[in-house]
Amino acid sequence: MAPSDEELVDAFQRGDLCAFDVLVRRWERKIHGAVYRMLGSEDETRDISQETFLRAYRALGTFKKEARFSSWLYQITLNLCRDRLRRRKLRNHVSLDALDEAAGASFPPAAGPSAFDLLERRDLSRSVAAAVEALPEEQREVIVLKEYQGLTFLEVAEALGLPPSTVKTRLYRGLRLLRQQLERQGIRGPAAVPEPLP
Amino acid sequence: MDCESFREDMLSVLYGEADAASCARFEAHRASCGPCREELGALNDLRRTLAAWKAPERAAPVAAPARASLRGLAAAAGLLLALGGALGLSGTQFQYTRGGFSARIGRSGLQDVQPLLTALERRHRQEIAGLEARLQVSAVASSSAPPPAHDDAALLARVEALIRESEGRQAALRNASLRELGEQAETQRRYDLARISAGFSYLEGKTGQQVARTTELMGYVLQASQKR
Repeated sequence: MAPSDEELVDAFQRGDLCAFDVLVRRWERKIHGAVYRMLGSEDETRDISQETFLRAYRALGTFKKEARFSSWLYQITLNLCRDRLRRRKLRNHVSLDALDEAAGASFPPAAGPSAFDLLERRDLSRSVAAAVEALPEEQREVIVLKEYQGLTFLEVAEALGLPPSTVKTRLYRGLRLLRQQLERQGIRGPAAVPEPLP
Repeated sequence: MDCESFREDMLSVLYGEADAASCARFEAHRASCGPCREELGALNDLRRTLAAWKAPERAAPVAAPARASLRGLAAAAGLLLALGGALGLSGTQFQYTRGGFSARIGRSGLQDVQPLLTALERRHRQEIAGLEARLQVSAVASSSAPPPAHDDAALLARVEALIRESEGRQAALRNASLRELGEQAETQRRYDLARISAGFSYLEGKTGQQVARTTELMGYVLQASQKR
């Protein structure tokens, strides 16, 4: 049976440095996904993901285990994302390539779905990405952690340092805003969602 | 009770995290509340729509030595300098108009051909006008008396000569345009190649940053192992 995150943290703190490697391999995909959905740019996602693990490595020796390792890792990730978004606002930065990357990256070149399906899916992906990007930061964080990272309400609350009821309120507001924005673009209900790719 | 007090239960049900008590509470409310039934359905639909946004796969880490990336950068910079010189010598112009850059390749361009074309067109018009005048004269003459045979032959020969001359000019112009287009395409190709090289050099620069971070990480690992 694979060791739990907490067992790996214990092992690392006892001096087994390989344990950190296992943690990185276990979490890098999830962290990459969360950062991408917070920032919407692949270049920045690579930087921030790497920075997250570097910071985790520096601090893991003194990690008190008051929260789950995953929540702690998400805390580091979100702090770095918030810093980056703040700096972006200062520079008035706009990522232009992000949506194209997002829409194009997950489509296999092989034949299967029709070109129309692919275009439709790409448009839908772009619309959803734009709607999430337009959310207020605190609602976007909750949506990313809950909807796309699949964390439980308790885990989201722990990662954000909020009571679960506040998490639910932010989630509900975020979902409502998303629904309104997508409806404004003419996207209503699951009829607009093509079948998933094989 | 108002619907708002069931909202947390509804979200727990929506994400499959409701315990037995909150599930029963919400189900009892939903049975008698149309708006909540509709809202739960709409939120389920929304979640399916949100799933359409896929994050790109994490790119595999590229291990490239920093020195190689510096060599690549130097080569790209050299290539850009050489191309910049070549473009400058060939009279290439870069302009910023309507929020974007545009490049005009080559010194002469189509502008220089324009006066030639205008002059040619003027000559053609003069020749056509002359021909028309002569045809009118011969038409008037033919109405009164049959024209001499040698005049018809001379006119035909003159028309044929004019046509040949015109075709020759057209062919020369076509060749000149093709040659110019070829030169422009070649310069454009070199310009594109330089841009691609610059792109590679940028990517290699990013890799260099990654390598620097990895090196830092390795430093920590070494320090930690030495402490141990």
